[in-house]
Amino acid sequence: MTTPSRHMHCRNYAPIDAVKGICHMTKEIVHADDDACPSFVRLPRCAECKLYAAGADDYVGVCSATSNRPMTYPDLVAVTCEWFEWRSA
Amino acid sequence: MPRKLTDILAQADARLEYQAMGAPPAEPTPREVIGKPSPRAERLRNLYYSALSSASSEFPYWYTRAYGGLDNEIPVVRRALALESAFRHLTPTIFPGELLVVGKTHHYRGSFPMPWLSEGYYMAAENQLYQDALARGSASADEVSTFGTGGGNVTKSFGSVVSIAGKFGIRKEEVPAMLRVAHAWEGRSVDDVGHKYEQMTPGYEIKEALMKSVTCMFDSGYTLPQGREVVNYDYPLQFGFDELISRTEQKKAEVAGRADGDGLTGMNRLYNYEAASHVLRGIQAWVENYAREARRLEAAEREPVQRAEYTRIAECLEWVAHRPPRTFYEALQLTWIVHVAVLNEDVISGLSPGRLGQVLWPWYEQDIAAGRLDEGKALELLECLRIKYTCLDCFASMGVVGGVLSGNTFNNLSIGGLDRSGRPANNRLEELIIEAAMTCASTQPTLTLLYDDKLPESFLLKAAECIKTGTGYPAVVNNRTAIEFLLGQYGPEGMDLEEARAIAIGGCLETSPCSWMPLTLNGRSYWIPGGSGQPTSVGVHFLSLPKILELVLFDGVDQRTKLRVFPGHGRALGSFEELFDQVKAYFAKAVEVLSLANNIQHDVWRKNNTAVLNSLLKPDCLETGHLINELGYRYNATHNVETCGTINLVNSLAALKSLVYDRRLITLAELRKALADNFGFRTADEVGSFSLSSQEKRGETTEYDRTHVECLTAPKYGNDNPYVDDILKQWEDWFCATCRDYESLNAQPYYACQISVSTHAPMGAVTIATPDGRLAGTTFADASMSAYPGTDRHGPYALFASATCWDHAQSQNSQLNLKIHPSAIQGRAGTKKLLELTRAYMRKGGFHIQYNVVDSRILKDAQEHPEQYRDLLVRVAGFTQYWVEIGKPIQDEIIARTEYEGVQE
Repeated sequence: MTTPSRHMHCRNYAPIDAVKGICHMTKEIVHADDDACPSFVRLPRCAECKLYAAGADDYVGVCSATSNRPMTYPDLVAVTCEWFEWRSA
Repeated sequence: MPRKLTDILAQADARLEYQAMGAPPAEPTPREVIGKPSPRAERLRNLYYSALSSASSEFPYWYTRAYGGLDNEIPVVRRALALESAFRHLTPTIFPGELLVVGKTHHYRGSFPMPWLSEGYYMAAENQLYQDALARGSASADEVSTFGTGGGNVTKSFGSVVSIAGKFGIRKEEVPAMLRVAHAWEGRSVDDVGHKYEQMTPGYEIKEALMKSVTCMFDSGYTLPQGREVVNYDYPLQFGFDELISRTEQKKAEVAGRADGDGLTGMNRLYNYEAASHVLRGIQAWVENYAREARRLEAAEREPVQRAEYTRIAECLEWVAHRPPRTFYEALQLTWIVHVAVLNEDVISGLSPGRLGQVLWPWYEQDIAAGRLDEGKALELLECLRIKYTCLDCFASMGVVGGVLSGNTFNNLSIGGLDRSGRPANNRLEELIIEAAMTCASTQPTLTLLYDDKLPESFLLKAAECIKTGTGYPAVVNNRTAIEFLLGQYGPEGMDLEEARAIAIGGCLETSPCSWMPLTLNGRSYWIPGGSGQPTSVGVHFLSLPKILELVLFDGVDQRTKLRVFPGHGRALGSFEELFDQVKAYFAKAVEVLSLANNIQHDVWRKNNTAVLNSLLKPDCLETGHLINELGYRYNATHNVETCGTINLVNSLAALKSLVYDRRLITLAELRKALADNFGFRTADEVGSFSLSSQEKRGETTEYDRTHVECLTAPKYGNDNPYVDDILKQWEDWFCATCRDYESLNAQPYYACQISVSTHAPMGAVTIATPDGRLAGTTFADASMSAYPGTDRHGPYALFASATCWDHAQSQNSQLNLKIHPSAIQGRAGTKKLLELTRAYMRKGGFHIQYNVVDSRILKDAQEHPEQYRDLLVRVAGFTQYWVEIGKPIQDEIIARTEYEGVQE
């Protein structure tokens, strides 16, 4: 799955709030939805995970890491998830 | 041109005095003392100023996912496993320049809903869950509460951000998942299960009507079930997490399979220790995740100073995730971690750090002596701590966060007081805490000075100097009166004088039971104070006294909604005594039905959603194996009855007594008509102002002018007038005694609590005109002992005499706000004057006083040009808040408060 390279999906992005964050590389405040810079580092999140499957509704999917296949959502940050596996290298 | 109230009063040669004891200088006067933080704290504070209150689904998602897979597990263990999973999965974020780290969520100013408590209030208005909440009255206060539209409040959706619960912004991509998680709790939340059972209580229909008419503001069991209490950091500081986990494991082995003489709850101890162990492991993992994040940033950082700071953060977290702190920095960081962990366990406002300067004194003292720390570094850390506290948000309903809290979270840090043996407990670290509050002014933590005549003059003057910065803190609380209250309330549970001296304030102004905890550091022994009681300000919250009077005058029918709240009393109200008696009768009925319903809600909470971590921290849960739900806390008599609008009630009763019964200038029927017709005025909503003086007459009618002037000029509280003060005393004596007739779910008596917080705005908004001349929809007098704006004409000492006509030790608190012009207390002499003024009130037995040191003209300008006042702080009622984040009804009330231009007798 190809995801847009937005600041909020970068590992260097520290979210101040729902619209902006600080870039750890530049220490500048950047807008969450703006296109990321060449230093972009993909942030682990459900949308990037091999175990994630999109659902019928927007922004809601399924996690197949456990047998009950619970609901999840693509933007759930997965840096602490024990089951996370990159969808692609 | 519509006639204003001032015109009508002028025609009768009367007026309201919004300035007392002189006139202000010709030009607006800024505050005399203005502090400046360290560059680091200033950067972090500026980041706060730019941050929006942001909600996240991460914690509720992982909690709900784990909980759902644990059918038939023991409830307390099931909840603990859900909490463990949520803590383990929180995304750690560290911001450049931070020295103290860890937050509620990955946002700088983040929070999240807890649908296992209540799930309807943050739905869109058309959502069925929200409509259900409205139907049962639990969302009625939301409809009449407001937020300030500035600062970090997200009151409207924009771009990719959706506004929820009136204040919080959430990414639109997260909304569908948030809704799915909320719906997973439908019919299972504390709110829903509690509602099922509360309907079985006698008089439930009255309870629901009280909520719908906003005679009562909210149910505490599913909104803010914990808080208004003092946290206890002792065990993590003394033992560290590894040792605490080890102790819970050891305890499991000791109690497994044993009732030990307690056939009801003895066996539960095993599950409680198991739960505690899981939550502790989750918190440990959470801290370790932050440590890993610090190492990741350290590895990537090219700037050496920032890299070294990441190293220091990582080393600190790696240590305190397992072991007790060795240094002041580690101890401070650990107390913050524990604080946030407790806040993430439940929806909590008013989780107070207590006497933090005395808790941290052992590390501070030893670090200073060893040369590991200097005062400059300590001050910078304390400033950083202020930013972390200020970033805290409480995610609850509009009615609770807007109508009650005004967006504040009430983390109250107490200073001063006495030690175990009755000597002054102040120390140098507390002076630095005051200094940090001056240099880095912010809302949190607010400060309370536990005033005692034994405290050194230099310490008291330092506190007075801080008050002059205009931040509203420290509030001043009478240590001796508080101790007297504690001994009366908790003596039956074993509290003695030595223990009562550990007192600290929980929440904005809740006198809270605390205990002395032993602590050893490098072979030296100390006693540190910490909380040992259940949450306070839970139970009946808040009861609007002017609304009760309205219901008496109109035979039980709410005039805004036309809803019958109480059965008609059918009394002629032919004498003042009969009228006053009916006020008491309706009030007592309200407390009866509300206490029964709230007991059920809190019982459902403690059965299904009990406090595991907070319990573990409080004596004597770790020792006994019983959590809060099994009365494991040392002190459990903490439920109370909280009121709002005391002074409007008292002034109204005085007006009724004078005009209707004593002087017979008007009949009760005529007065009812005038009140129902708002004395011929437009509504406050129509006028767009919520202060009395701005109200405008409807058309040219003069029908009620004479009556209205008589009502406004009838005797008023705050002028040392026995005609009114005797009514206040009668009310207080009866109210404080009556609360004790009701029993909490802990089989303990309720008691009186008298703070308005922000409820005087929404409760004023739903109340028609009152016999004291106040008009419909305008805000009540704040607090419980503050005069109604413009009616205290004889100076502060007359106000003090009125306020202390009753015994404040009979109540958990009372509250008095005074607005003083900066020019009245200028210079060193002014500081001493302020202290003398405060001391005079304390010596008369007043429980609490706090000050707004501000020129009202600056507030008016800030209302017109909010963009120029992002950092302006004001004192509301028990808390300090950014002007721009307060709703207009409260802003109007603060502007209207009587401004004292001098403080001499």
